[in-house]
Amino acid sequence: MPELYHYLQQLVNGLTIGSTYALIAIGYTMVYGIIGMINFAHGEVYMIGSYIAFIAITLLAMAGVDSLLPIMFVAFAASMIVTSAYGYSIERFAYRPLRGGNRLIPLISAIGMSIFLQNMVMLSQDSKDKAIPSLLPGNFVLGESAMSGVTISYMQVLIFVVTFLAMLGLSLFISRSRLGRACRACAEDLKMANLLGINTNQIIALTFVIGAALAAVAGVLLGMQYGVINPHLGFLAGIKAFTAAVLGGIGSIPGAVLGGLLLGVAEAFGADLFGDQYKDVVAFSLLVLVLLFRPTGILGRPEVEKV
Amino acid sequence: MSRNLKTALFSTLLLLLISYPILGLKLSVIGIGLQVEGADARTLWTIGLAAVAMFTWQLLRDRLPGAGRLAAMTPSVPGQVKHWLTLPSTQRWIILALVMLALVWPFFGSRAAVDIATLILIYVMLGIGLNIVVGLAGLLDLGYVGFYAVGAYTYALLAEYAGFGFWLALPIAGLMAATFGCLLGFPVLRLRGDYLAIVTLGFGEIIRILLRNLTDITGGPNGISQIPKPTLFGLSFDRRAPEGLETFHGFFGIPYDSTYKVIFLYLIALLLVLLALFVINRLMRMPIGRAWEALREDEIACRSLGLNPTIVKLSAFTLGATFAGFAGSFFAARQGLVTPESFTFIESAMILAIVVLGGMGSQLGIILAAVVMVLLQEMREFNEYRMLIFGLTMIVMMIWRPQGLLPMQRPHLELKS
Amino acid sequence: MTKSTQHLRKLITAMALAGCASQALAADNIRIALAGPVTGAVAQYGEMQFVGARMAIEQINKAGGVNGAQLEGVVYDDACDPKQAVAVANKIVNDGISFVVGHLCSSSTQPASDIYEDEGILMITPASTSPDVTARGYQLIFRTIGLDNLQGPTAGNFIADKVKPKAVAVVHDKQQYGEGIATAVRDTLKDKGINVEAFEGINAGDKDFSALIAKLKRANVDFVYYGGYHPELGLLLRQSKERGLAARFMGPEGVGNKEISAIAGPASEGLLVTLPRSFDQDPKNKALVEAFKAKKEDPSGPFVFPAYAAVQVIAQGIEKAGGTDTEKVAAALRANTFDTPTGTLAFDEKGDLKDFSFVVYEWHQDGTKSEATK
Repeated sequence: MPELYHYLQQLVNGLTIGSTYALIAIGYTMVYGIIGMINFAHGEVYMIGSYIAFIAITLLAMAGVDSLLPIMFVAFAASMIVTSAYGYSIERFAYRPLRGGNRLIPLISAIGMSIFLQNMVMLSQDSKDKAIPSLLPGNFVLGESAMSGVTISYMQVLIFVVTFLAMLGLSLFISRSRLGRACRACAEDLKMANLLGINTNQIIALTFVIGAALAAVAGVLLGMQYGVINPHLGFLAGIKAFTAAVLGGIGSIPGAVLGGLLLGVAEAFGADLFGDQYKDVVAFSLLVLVLLFRPTGILGRPEVEKV
Repeated sequence: MSRNLKTALFSTLLLLLISYPILGLKLSVIGIGLQVEGADARTLWTIGLAAVAMFTWQLLRDRLPGAGRLAAMTPSVPGQVKHWLTLPSTQRWIILALVMLALVWPFFGSRAAVDIATLILIYVMLGIGLNIVVGLAGLLDLGYVGFYAVGAYTYALLAEYAGFGFWLALPIAGLMAATFGCLLGFPVLRLRGDYLAIVTLGFGEIIRILLRNLTDITGGPNGISQIPKPTLFGLSFDRRAPEGLETFHGFFGIPYDSTYKVIFLYLIALLLVLLALFVINRLMRMPIGRAWEALREDEIACRSLGLNPTIVKLSAFTLGATFAGFAGSFFAARQGLVTPESFTFIESAMILAIVVLGGMGSQLGIILAAVVMVLLQEMREFNEYRMLIFGLTMIVMMIWRPQGLLPMQRPHLELKS
Repeated sequence: MTKSTQHLRKLITAMALAGCASQALAADNIRIALAGPVTGAVAQYGEMQFVGARMAIEQINKAGGVNGAQLEGVVYDDACDPKQAVAVANKIVNDGISFVVGHLCSSSTQPASDIYEDEGILMITPASTSPDVTARGYQLIFRTIGLDNLQGPTAGNFIADKVKPKAVAVVHDKQQYGEGIATAVRDTLKDKGINVEAFEGINAGDKDFSALIAKLKRANVDFVYYGGYHPELGLLLRQSKERGLAARFMGPEGVGNKEISAIAGPASEGLLVTLPRSFDQDPKNKALVEAFKAKKEDPSGPFVFPAYAAVQVIAQGIEKAGGTDTEKVAAALRANTFDTPTGTLAFDEKGDLKDFSFVVYEWHQDGTKSEATK
C-alpha cells in the first residue's frame, strides 16, 4: 500500500507541474500555429506575470486586505492585463517588422528579446529571490498520515481547477466565437485568410495577447504555489513548455495540453527513478524518443511537403 | 485626426502598462518581509517623459515632415558600394587584409587586447562551424554548444588520464566531436525545421547535464582543472617547465615574459581559424558544398535530382561538429579548466546570433559579427546594462539589417527581358 | 644553432619589446582589483564582497593609507563565468594591478589564479571555499574564509553526536560548493557509523522538489543535510512542511542569511546552519557594523567581513614587507599574524587560514539565529 501511495503521489506531483507547463505551452503552440515562429521570449512573459502578481499581492497586503478571493482576483487581473500589453508590444516591436523573411531572423530577435526582458527585470527588481507567504496553506491527506499517505495541497487543487477552466474557456473561444474562427482560418492559411477580408495583423496580435495572458495565469499560479520568484525563472520554464508543445505536436492546442501533462509526469517519475538531477535528461530523452517515432509530435498533423 | 488620437492614446496606455508596473514599482525585502516601493524620481520622470513623447509622436506622425521617410534617412551606403562590398571577390580581399591585421595584432595590441582577440577567434571558429550547419545546409541547430563541450572535455580527459598534449589531442577532439555529431545527427536529421531545433537543444542540454552528473569521470561540477597549455615543438611557455619539457625562454635564452604565452595561444587560435576558413572555402566549391546550399533552397528538387538528403545533411552536421570540437579543445587549453557551466544554452544562442548577424553564409560577416558580439559582452563601462544592450542590439540588428552585417552575393545569372 | 631558430629568436624578442612598451605605468595609489560577479545569478554574493572590501579601503584611507599611499579599489565583473574570469585576470595584469581581492565562485577563482600566480599578482579570495583553490602549491594565492572540507566535519560531527537521527539524507545542488560540502558531510557521517539513506543531487534554479520530497518520505528520513545555497533550500523547506515531511534540516553557510527565512517563513524555524562566527554579532565589531549601517549597507552577509579582512591583510602585509613587491608581501603574510574583525588571522603554507572555526547555529523564523545545542 505505501508503494502505491508513493507512486500516486508522484503522479499528482507530475500532473501539477505538467498543467502549468501546458498553460505556458499554449502560448508557443498558438503563435507557431499561425505564423510558424518560435517565440523564445514567451518564458520571460511568464516571469513578468509572476512579478506583477507578487507586486499586486504585496500591495494588497500592505493595504491590509487579507481575504483570499479579492487578492487572487486582483493578482490574476493585474498580471493578465500587463502581460497582454507585453505580448502585444513584443509582437508589434520585435516580430511584425520581420514577418515574411527567413525564419531564423525572428528567432534571433526573440532570443534577443528574451535576454532583454530578463535583464530589464533584473535591473529594476534586482536578482534576489522574492518570497511571499503561502496564501492557501493546507492539504488533503489520503491514507494514514501525511508521512506515508498521499498529500494533495489545496494549492494543487486550485492549479488543476484553474488550468481546466482556462483550457475550457480557450477551446470554447477558438471553436465558437467569430474571432476564434478567424484564428483557425489564419492557422490554416494566412494569405488566404487575408484575401478573405480577415485582418490578419489583428489576429496575430490577438494570438500573442492570448498566449501572454495564459502565461500570466501560469505565472500567478506557480508564484502562489512556490511562493518564490526571481528574474531567471522564465528561461527554464520557457524551454520546458516549448518541449511540451513540440512533444504534443506544435500548432495543436490539445497537443500542448497533452504534451505538458506527459512531460510533467515523466519528470516526476524520472526524478523518482534516476534522481532529481536527471529530471531534465528524462524530459529531453522522452522528446527525442517520441519524435523518432512520430516526427511531428503526438497530435501534430503530418505536414504535406509541397514543391 | 480622431484615428490618430485613438492610436496615440492606445500606444501611450500600452507604454505605461509595460513600463510602470515593472520599472516604477519595486519589490524589496525589508527584514524578512516583502514590500513594494516606488522607484526613484528619475525613473518615474523617464517613464512620464517617454509616455508624453510617445503620445505626441503618434498624434503628429503624419504631419511631421519626413517622419514617414525615417527609414530612408538612416545612414545607408550607395548601391554601388553595397554591391561592391558584397561581391565574393571583394570579401576575399577584405578577409586577406583582416588576416594580415590579425597576424601583426600581437605586436601592437596590449596583453588584454590580445587575450580578447583570442576569445574573438574562438567565436569566429565556432561561427564558421555552425555556419556550415545553419547558413549553408539550412539546419537549425540550437545545441551546437554540445559539440564544443565534447571537444573541450575530450582534451581535458585525455590530458588528465592519459597525459596527452594539446597537439595530439586536437585531432582526437575533432574526431570525437564528429563522431558525436554523426551519432546524434543520424536519428534526428529526418525531422523538419523547428522539431530539429528543439531536439538539438535537448541534446545540448543532455550532454551538459551528463557532464555535470558523471562526477567520477568528468569531475562533475568541479570540472577538470590544470589542463596543460600547448607547447611549441616541445617547448613550454610556463615559467617553470613540467618534467621532460624545456621552457621556451630557457631554450632561447631570453628573460621570461608571460606575454609570450598569451601571444602563442593567440597565434594557435589564428592558425586554427585560417585552417577552418581554408577548408570551408574549398568545400564550398566542391560538389558537397553545392549540395548543402541546394538542399537548403529546395529539398524536394534535390531529392528528385538524385541527392541523398540524409547523407548531405549528415555531412554538414558532422563537419560543423568537428570545428566545434577543435574550438572546444582550444578553449580547454586557453582556460586550463573546463566546467559544465561553460556550455549552457546561452552560448549556443550567442554562436547562432553571430552566424545570423553576420549574414548567413558569409565568412567575412561572421568575423565581423564575432568581433561585435564579443566586444558587446566585454563592455565593462556599462556594467550591469551590458546584457540589456546585448539583447536590444540583437533585436535592432534583426530589424535594421535582417540580411546580416555583410551578406555575400552568390554567383548568379539573370535573364534579361 | 640553426639559422631558422635564430630568426625565430629575433622575432620573439621583437614581440617581447612590443609587449612591454604597451604596459601601463604604475600610479601613486596602490590599486586593488575587486573581482567578482556584478552581474549574473549570484551577483548578490558579489555585492557582499564588494561592500566589505570598499569599506575596508575607505577606512584604511581615512586612517592615513598604507605607507603613505592611498588604496584604490577597482571593480572587475566576472559574472561568475570561468571564461570571463580569465579575461578579467588578463585585464588586471594589463592594468598593472598587483593585488586582487576575489573572485567569488571557486570555478572562476581557479582559472584566474593560474594567471595571477604566473604574473606575480597576489590574490586573496574572501569567498571561494573549494579546497582545490589552494591545493596546487601556489605561493601568491590566499584566502580569508574556511574550506568546504572544514565545514563538512563540523556539520557531520554535530549530527552524529548531538542530533542522533535515525535516517539521514544528504542532498546537494550539483555545484562545486554544494557537492563538495555534501560529500564531506556524508563521509564524516559514514565514519561515525550513521546511516545515510540517500545522497542526491538537484538542479540549481529548480523550483519544484515534490518528487524528491516524496522519495524522502518513503525512506522515512528524519534528518536532511543540504549542500548548496539558500534559494533552493528555502523552497525545499517550504515544500517539505507543506507536504508533511517531518524532518530536520541542516545547511552550510551558503544558506545562512536572512533570505532563507524570507523564502521559507515558518518552515525555517529550527534549521541548523554551520557558519563562521557571525562577525557582525561580535561586540568587538560594533563600530564597524554601525559604519556599514550608516552607509545603508548590510553587514550580515557571510562574505562581507572576510572581504574586509582580505583588504586589511593586504594593507598590513604591504606595511610589513615594506613595499608592494608581491613575493615579499606573500612571505610577510605567511610569517605574521593579522588583527582583523574576523579575528587574529595566520596563514599556513598553502595560503589557507590556520584556524577558522565554524559554529552550528539554529535558525529562527524571523531570520535571527542562536547557537545550537542539540
